[in-house]
Amino acid sequence: MGVMEIDTAKNLQRKQSLYQNLDEKYGIHKEQYRGQQYSHMYFTRLHHMRNLLYSLVKKWKPHLPVCKVLGLEEGKECIIVGTLYKHMKLKPTILDEYSKERSAVPLVKSHNFMHPEDYLVLEDESGRVKLGGTLLEPSLFVTGLVVALHGKETTTGQFLVQDIHEAGLPSQIELPLDSREDKYVIFVSGLSVGSTTSNPLQLQLLVDHITGHLGDEKEQSIASLIVRVVIAGNSVEIPQGLLNGQILVSKDQSRLSEPIKELDILLTQLAVAVPLDIMPGPNDPANFSLPQQPLHRCLFPGASAYNTFMSCTNPHSFEVDDIRFLGTSGQNIDDIAKYSEAKSNLDFMERTLRWRHIAPTAPNTLGCYPFTDRDPFFIENCPHIYFVGNQRKYETCLFRGLEGQLVRLIAIPKFCETGVAIALNMRNLECHALSFSTKLDS
Amino acid sequence: MASGGIKGYYRQRKSSVSKFASKSKSKPKSSTKISSKAAASLGSDRVQPSALISHGSLDLQGDYDESEELLRQFDMDMAYGPCIGMRRLDRWERANSLGMDPPKKVGDLLRGGKVGLECLWDGRV
Repeated sequence: MGVMEIDTAKNLQRKQSLYQNLDEKYGIHKEQYRGQQYSHMYFTRLHHMRNLLYSLVKKWKPHLPVCKVLGLEEGKECIIVGTLYKHMKLKPTILDEYSKERSAVPLVKSHNFMHPEDYLVLEDESGRVKLGGTLLEPSLFVTGLVVALHGKETTTGQFLVQDIHEAGLPSQIELPLDSREDKYVIFVSGLSVGSTTSNPLQLQLLVDHITGHLGDEKEQSIASLIVRVVIAGNSVEIPQGLLNGQILVSKDQSRLSEPIKELDILLTQLAVAVPLDIMPGPNDPANFSLPQQPLHRCLFPGASAYNTFMSCTNPHSFEVDDIRFLGTSGQNIDDIAKYSEAKSNLDFMERTLRWRHIAPTAPNTLGCYPFTDRDPFFIENCPHIYFVGNQRKYETCLFRGLEGQLVRLIAIPKFCETGVAIALNMRNLECHALSFSTKLDS
Repeated sequence: MASGGIKGYYRQRKSSVSKFASKSKSKPKSSTKISSKAAASLGSDRVQPSALISHGSLDLQGDYDESEELLRQFDMDMAYGPCIGMRRLDRWERANSLGMDPPKKVGDLLRGGKVGLECLWDGRV
């Protein structure tokens, strides 16, 4: 019987990378709430994007005059810039609860609120005008984005749209790709620790693969190329049945904290091995409205002891080796999907980039903090990677802008349902799926 | 402040509605007619609602002075955005940082501190 030899010859080193966190504009700890409403956010959004659009419009159609909504004259062709509002017949309003007659149609549908009779209205500080014509298809737009429209006022008082100009992608810093070495960033979302659908063995497989405890040398050398792990939301699922307003007995209290303790154990294992970013999601114990603030350190007593553990905001913006990443845990895209339609969620992501705003439906239908002097969801620099978490399935594509911008769009699936994490190679912006399965029969 | 003059608020003649109205009748409100295109950007002489006048005595001065009047004009000016929910100085700072060039006098008055720091509608809405 031979003695098993322990291979002590090679010690694989994990690759290092430079990281810079750019989440400052999503922090709200410096904000003071003075009872303001959302009008200020719309004002700053319109102001910034209108200045931007005025400069773009000069190159687009320099011969046409630009005017405000109140300055429209019948029959005169001009350009107006304002915020789009989509009037939706089926959009749930709080007033429906008070209506005396209840129709057979349920008050709130869960999926999509579109209706063929939806129409668009353009609004600026002087007034609003209903948009007519066939160029703009209401099903492709949502409330809250700022656009420039070329057209003229008709006799009925509507604005007949002849052409539209969106803000477009912002400028991007060009990267010398392909001259770098292979380094991977792993994206995962929807771990949902504590839910009935999450599989602890699957999670452990993921953690072991990333930390290099799985596989032979070849597998481990691949794992050593992973420089960062980003967890994009919904890491825990706290049993909702307990939170029904009753006083919690001590047995229930420990049941509440079990999922977070389990998550902390996993995160500690990860943080020991690789730098880690964790973002809050819709089900996580963070604030509800966007921008969600970082999950508190006290939730992760084990993992937060390591400086590789980084609790981040949602949306999250950061740079690794000069490659700019921007992403959310999915609330922005899910909300847009309720009020408009597209062939795939990647189309929604593309649209938010072209509108230069990651969450145009905030604060209309997406909960948001009432900022007074800025709109943090405005995209100032084009990211190289744009990711969205908690989607139904894994989708990715390369999106090219008009000025040569190159963006990799990634829709990260829910790990508890699919067992799929995404690995992105920073050398060439290609990504592939890492699929973990614990079924023995397939 | 009834800057339009008392005749502007009390109609001296019936406004002519019939088709046979003679064109020689001068319209009593011609002096205060506002062009509809610019209406949205006005804020000046309609600050004081006419409801204050209808109770008999004219509230000519109210409980504010000239500097407050200037600040109220700043509040009502649409170019600097909505005023409700923000302190006047914060709104001035915001207008300044957005490059809108708010009037310097307003900023100095607000930093001077002897004037009302909250906006016109504070506590009323």
